[in-house]
Amino acid sequence: MASHRGPLRWSWLRGPEPTAAERGRCTPRPDLLVCNECEAVYPRQALAHDAVLRCRRCGATLGRGHWLAVDGQLALTVAALVVFLIGSASPIVTLELRGIRSVASLYEATLLTWRSGEHLVALLSAATAFAFPLVVIVLRLWVLVPLLAGRRAPALVPAMRLLRWVMRWSMVEVFMLGVLIAVVRGAGVTSLVLGPGIFAYAGLTLLLTAIQASGLHELWQQALGFADSPHAPPSAIAPAACVGAPP
Amino acid sequence: MTQSYPTARELGLHGCECCGLVLSTPEGGAWLRCPRCAFELHHEKPMSLQRTSAWLLTAALLYVPANVLPVMATQSVLGRDTHTLVGGILELWASGSWELALIVFIASIAVPLLKIASLGLLTWTAHRRSRWRQRERAGLYRLVETVGHWSMLDVFVVVLLVGMVHFGVLASVEPEAGLLAFGAVVVATMLASSSFDPRLIWPQSPSDERA
Repeated sequence: MASHRGPLRWSWLRGPEPTAAERGRCTPRPDLLVCNECEAVYPRQALAHDAVLRCRRCGATLGRGHWLAVDGQLALTVAALVVFLIGSASPIVTLELRGIRSVASLYEATLLTWRSGEHLVALLSAATAFAFPLVVIVLRLWVLVPLLAGRRAPALVPAMRLLRWVMRWSMVEVFMLGVLIAVVRGAGVTSLVLGPGIFAYAGLTLLLTAIQASGLHELWQQALGFADSPHAPPSAIAPAACVGAPP
Repeated sequence: MTQSYPTARELGLHGCECCGLVLSTPEGGAWLRCPRCAFELHHEKPMSLQRTSAWLLTAALLYVPANVLPVMATQSVLGRDTHTLVGGILELWASGSWELALIVFIASIAVPLLKIASLGLLTWTAHRRSRWRQRERAGLYRLVETVGHWSMLDVFVVVLLVGMVHFGVLASVEPEAGLLAFGAVVVATMLASSSFDPRLIWPQSPSDERA
């Protein structure tokens, strides 16, 4: 019934500060881990960089050891931004038909779709292949740059909440496969030459996958702390299944 | 699968879905927010099954125009032609690239249908608070979540073809109404799977009160 509580309605974005009364009713337990998909409880444990922690009850991934510290993540994100800018500014393919040359980019494709009357489709593809990936990259920079300097980014909580939402709707990897299929289908009509855009998008797919591999919980932890001194895990609770090398 | 696991609800804990912080909430109750990220804390998402069913119904209804209406039109010196989703797949098949035809078939015909069917099954069994094959159902949910956005493939293909092939009367491609319906199917199934709460696959023992 959350939608009836007026002030909380848009809380997914705004992230209002919990009141003192609310804070008093919950105490953080940084020594524990709860499975998001079945509510099983485990002691929190440090993970080696190649280890994956799985829920024994439902098999969900509880955490992944991250092989990059903040500086490494930042480097990958900057690289992703550069590749993204190249990919969206340069042509994906160049086509030629009876002496007429045409250069296709994502911008061009969106514009022509818009002009032909399918406004919603144009918006949908521009959002999922261009705007959302850009927002993902910018928000990560927003969080990571101050973090590297040991400071907290302004509006950190809304930025992280927005990042969580927008990551779900960013579809660079699907767009990449779409480019390949469109190239094969277009090759039947005209002769075409691949442009730098297609390679840039391929690189962006790899970079975004690497950046997003460890999930957001770890970034929340790095950016907003709370578990600086884990207590000894309670012995009554069995640990989650750890796949990979022990730390 | 008789082993029992301590759950957050039994231990008076809440795990924040958004940031992963675990909180001890001995008083339990409603209207709690995470002190770290201000996300609302629940043991199960409010109205999860109702929302999932509503989005599923939307997706199922839109699936019909998405497949019946043409998704694009091609203009050539020989005239104007319209293509449906299935038509595009057959074209790829006929042109010899059967691997791509298979990928597009899976992404745009099989995946949306299987997603609607799987989420329907998950919603129905969760509604009945069934304990049937819980681990497999949890796996099915994760599969639906992972595969979800790949159905957007065909929308991108058509938009890119529109951008690539624009030589006026010689050859050009235009989007048609079916594409919008198909895009809406993909968005509706993604919203359906994000409204579904996988914790409903694991109902508490009957003695526990539903929070």
